[in-house]
Amino acid sequence: MTSTEMTAQAIDHARFRQEAERWLAENVSEEWREHRGALHEDDETRIRADWDRTLHKGNYAGLSLPVEYGGQGMGLAEEVIFHELAARAQAPDGLGRIGKILTAPTLIAHGTEHQKATFLPPIMSGDHVWCQGFSEPGSGSDLASVTCSAKRVEGGYLVRGRKTWTSYSRQAHRCLLLARSDDQAPRYRNLSLLLLDMNAPGVEISAIRQISGSQHFSETFFDDVFVSDEDRVGEEGDGWRMAMTVLANERGAIEGITRYVEIRADMNLLQQCCARPGEAAEQLQELDARVELVRWQVSKAVARQHDLQAFLRASMVLKVMWSELWQELTSLAAKLSCPAHRSHWRHQYLESRSATIYSGTSEIQRNIIGERVLGLPK
Amino acid sequence: MTAVGEMGVSEVGVEAAAALREILARAVGGSPVASYTTEQPLPWTTLQGGGWDLLGAPEEAGGAGATLRDLVEIARVWGWSVVPSPLIPTLMAKRWSAAAREYQGPVTVAVPTRTSGNLGVAPFGLEPGVRLLMGTIDSDRLVDIADAGDDGYAPSLRLTETSMVTELSPEAAAEMGVVWAAEAAGCAARMLTDAVAYAKERQQFGQPIGRFQAVKHQLADAHLLAEQAETAAIWASLEPTGSRTAVLYCFDSSLRVIETAVQVHGGLGFTWEMGLHMYLRHVSALRELAAGLPR
Repeated sequence: MTSTEMTAQAIDHARFRQEAERWLAENVSEEWREHRGALHEDDETRIRADWDRTLHKGNYAGLSLPVEYGGQGMGLAEEVIFHELAARAQAPDGLGRIGKILTAPTLIAHGTEHQKATFLPPIMSGDHVWCQGFSEPGSGSDLASVTCSAKRVEGGYLVRGRKTWTSYSRQAHRCLLLARSDDQAPRYRNLSLLLLDMNAPGVEISAIRQISGSQHFSETFFDDVFVSDEDRVGEEGDGWRMAMTVLANERGAIEGITRYVEIRADMNLLQQCCARPGEAAEQLQELDARVELVRWQVSKAVARQHDLQAFLRASMVLKVMWSELWQELTSLAAKLSCPAHRSHWRHQYLESRSATIYSGTSEIQRNIIGERVLGLPK
Repeated sequence: MTAVGEMGVSEVGVEAAAALREILARAVGGSPVASYTTEQPLPWTTLQGGGWDLLGAPEEAGGAGATLRDLVEIARVWGWSVVPSPLIPTLMAKRWSAAAREYQGPVTVAVPTRTSGNLGVAPFGLEPGVRLLMGTIDSDRLVDIADAGDDGYAPSLRLTETSMVTELSPEAAAEMGVVWAAEAAGCAARMLTDAVAYAKERQQFGQPIGRFQAVKHQLADAHLLAEQAETAAIWASLEPTGSRTAVLYCFDSSLRVIETAVQVHGGLGFTWEMGLHMYLRHVSALRELAAGLPR
């Protein structure tokens, strides 16, 4: 890029930032800002669903996705700027997260025109919530061993099996599902990626109560649920490759900056709790710096997005960075036991234990960093 | 100045970093660290002849006008090799001080440390012809360093106790901290690269040790820390006010990367000949200097 182009881009970004800042100030719900930690789960769900629609009305949904699919046609840089400002404005995290950061990029990369036209607009508008059907009781870190089966029938498949740790399943309209479509084919070539209708007959959901008491995840049962051929992404047996695209997105920069939103808000609250400088002052300062480092690490990844190896070096550390940081933060908060927000911190302390487990455990992340980034032998 | 490189690096930064990488590769490429840190592979006169001492000085004062962000790139390249030459303190002194620019030779700064009491510690205080910058606040004059002795700890920094300390303005002190932090991040990047290469090669139990998760995960953690050290230095250069925490975090992370490199190298890691200790010494000494900078 020439220096003139860089300057023009910087001016565009500054203008985008200014407009987004104003828009956020006018649109973030006060109910969320003031009572975020103490909301009833139904209210939380309602506010988060409303936020998806508000984003869409304000033309801030799918910033980095193409205009023809309901996105805003901008880049990763704008996406990052917006999420940073959203953090400052204490905006909620929408329910459309899986649809926007997992389903949409996967369909844009591998979906048919019909799939894109059918599924992308309602993701952007906030009308459709998606969930992800990858993990199973017997397939956690070893994802390729999934046994949920997609049996060939005329015009499609009958899905039978069980998925677990499904976020948003109770609100979801569709599920991005990884199922075994061929019992004979070798590992990595026996899976297909399906777009399953969560309202179809045979879908049953049973909430999983987590250690925090909240129920963000479910177990989902499929009893011969029909999925048509046109709701398969890519070729039959090509599901593993597709799933890897999905996971690369999940672990990427947008996910990192989205997580930054929540962690920044918790950090601000913790600093309010500890307004008097005490024994934890130095620890708080370091935590605060590390929260900001997540944001800067994302910016560095974005700056390196056109050099794949450099991008991976910078982006593959994000999941471990934010998840372990959030745990340390909530551990300290629980220890300092701030009376004004005790219930929030107790909840967050327990809730954050899951962050180093879902979306690839910290152990799997370290394998990936060791093998794919540093090139150590498998 | 217009940015052309990554995250605000100007053309000066991009070109200087590439040129310096080449100069260092020519001077020490392939030689063992322990040998070149005790010799002088890149004499000061070579650097001065190339105008490197004026890289960070303002353009109107005859310098190349490198920004603090540019200097982070330079310092990272410098940290990769830890060549014992007074480039970093000299180019910072000549960035801030007209008196330093008027002087042809190397210039250093002295900062108080926790262990030096009222005295100061200056890197390269025994370098032939070196002079000490007295301050950037009221007057910027240079003095000779009298009665100094190398404390022997870091061969690549040649720390010297001085009877005076440099009075740096808060802005100059913040810049010095950022550049030293970037140097530490460069050291960490080098040590991680060496440790990974060693783990791929070294065989035990019939396989490369890098295949064992106990080793692989240590190196993954070192990568996490090296990435964050680099990011912290970049961040600190773009927001130098209030960068102190980022700078200190950069030193701590860099040092942990180097400690891991020593561990992964096993018995070799703690031999003098292998030279990994030069990086441990270099970064822990820089951290001490940075901690003594005025706020």
